[in-house]
Amino acid sequence: MDEIQQKKVEQLVNYIMKWSLWQFNSREWDREKQNEEILTKTMQLLCDEPVENETPEDRYYWSEAMVLSSDFKTNFEWISQMNKTEIKTLMDDLKNRIDYLTITGSLNAELKVNRY
Amino acid sequence: MPYHTFKCSKCIPERTRHAVIKGHGEDITSCLPLGYLNTIPGSISERGCAFCGAKHVIGTPMKDVIHLCHGPVGCTYDTWQTKRYISDNDNFQFKYTFATDMKEKHIVFGSEKLLKESIIEAFKAFPEIKRMAIYQTCASALIGDDMDAVAQEVMNEMPDVDIFVCNSPGFAGPSQSGGHHKINIAWVNQKVGTVEPKITSDYVINYVGEYNIQGDQEVMADYFKRMGIQVLSTFTGNGSYDDLRSMHKADLNVLECARSAEYICNELRVRYGTPRMDIDGFGFKPLSESLLKVGLFFGLEDKAQKIIEEETARWKPELDWYARRLKGVKVCLWPGGSKLWHWANVIHEEMGVEVVSLYTKFGHQGDMEKGIARCGEGALAIDDPNELEGIEAMMELQPDVIFTGVRPGEVAKKLRVQYLNAHAYHNGPYKGYEGWVRFARDIYNAVYSPIHQLSGLDISKDEIDMNTGFVTKNIISDAKIDKEASITNNEREYTGKYDCVTHLRDKTY
Repeated sequence: MDEIQQKKVEQLVNYIMKWSLWQFNSREWDREKQNEEILTKTMQLLCDEPVENETPEDRYYWSEAMVLSSDFKTNFEWISQMNKTEIKTLMDDLKNRIDYLTITGSLNAELKVNRY
Repeated sequence: MPYHTFKCSKCIPERTRHAVIKGHGEDITSCLPLGYLNTIPGSISERGCAFCGAKHVIGTPMKDVIHLCHGPVGCTYDTWQTKRYISDNDNFQFKYTFATDMKEKHIVFGSEKLLKESIIEAFKAFPEIKRMAIYQTCASALIGDDMDAVAQEVMNEMPDVDIFVCNSPGFAGPSQSGGHHKINIAWVNQKVGTVEPKITSDYVINYVGEYNIQGDQEVMADYFKRMGIQVLSTFTGNGSYDDLRSMHKADLNVLECARSAEYICNELRVRYGTPRMDIDGFGFKPLSESLLKVGLFFGLEDKAQKIIEEETARWKPELDWYARRLKGVKVCLWPGGSKLWHWANVIHEEMGVEVVSLYTKFGHQGDMEKGIARCGEGALAIDDPNELEGIEAMMELQPDVIFTGVRPGEVAKKLRVQYLNAHAYHNGPYKGYEGWVRFARDIYNAVYSPIHQLSGLDISKDEIDMNTGFVTKNIISDAKIDKEASITNNEREYTGKYDCVTHLRDKTY
């Protein structure tokens, strides 16, 4: 990841950390699922691709993604100047960074507790 | 790891890993204190016990229920009305408190008979109430009273009553948080699915982790109802016992305080497939996005948007009036659990205050992750602080105001630091658009209180200017702002009523 991309990713990370809660469910497997579903759907919305939202579960992830993608477009104008391939790479990098901060690099000892 | 060692806690080396300072470039992978561990002997904690967490935080806000404490009278009396979880049924759960009043003889001979007599006596004293929750305490747990058996015996004899048994004695966890967990799981195991509700809308939610502090729940429920959503149950503020037995029938669990109630949302998701949606009811932007998310889920986003626009137009000029005057005010954000992260960023973004420290009494590391991620650089984050650490932090950081509970709040006053009650509020509700303005007004009144300013003068030694008149809070606050800009922007002080909740109870939708 080059420096410019890194700066963009950090801006998005900072936004998610300041305004979202979905990335902080209490268990590791839960965070993996939340990050995967919501960031994938956000990427699809930013790329004008179809998004599954028929089941209650998908509908929930989609609702979060709708708000996040709208916020991204409003607060980071440079996103609208990116093409689909660039957006996908950006969102991949963002997902990796969020996964690191909330799962693989997390110091939270409760993440690996099996039961709720 | 940027741990912070308090001078007063050098003799308790285990405390070292319970406080961190968020330095430049630090994030939650390099800056996170330990959390939710047993309090270290010798450290005088501000925590409550697991009984308190179960009964007084989550159980007792249920409004149409006799809440009976099975233990010494002190367990219930000493914690009676510590919160202001009001209800729309004349505050039944708030006005009365019930205990079996165990004595030494019951420890020796058992107290199941006493429990049964107390249950029947309470039902007879309040014949209109047919629901009861009975709560284990350390004393009754240690002697092994079988509360479930007694409750079942009474229900067999009195078929029109229903009793919930909460086994969460005080020692059942490191803090009140252990009790939150236990009562969540007990409720979903014992009661959810035992009543089939009347569904009146195509859009049905449970509103979870909301305790109706000074009317928060009623304000938020008003928004949901205006969107056409049925609030099937609230867990538990202003909540009805039988509504909460039907939680399995909602389409969505809207979760406010994840610290105290994520467990039941997680279980409902696993057992019934109901999604969990975490929201923020505090602050204009978080609240607007929360309403929008709920609206999107049901296809009601237009209705959500209408509410957002109406409420923002009505209340934003008033929030701005206070925000202009609160800019740069230094705050220690020292609540119990969830407000640590609900407020950490938004009070800075929307009111301009600077969060110089945050702490949690009973939060887990997950709460600190959220709080530290949301606060700015330089903030001191403390897990389970003791009183001396709180004093040391206040003396070093010199905050203008702290948001905390009554006990540490009284300590702050002695140091001439203003405090706002983060648990029960001063002049709430604080949720909702109007509520957020009321919160800003309370901060303003605390920081610029003329009496507070005068209290800093010592007439025995300070020189008192006898030619200066009494200085009002407006004179103090407006000395440092651009008043013209405030007027041009149509900013104004709070214009709402003293009571902004009661009228909602008569509203039709």
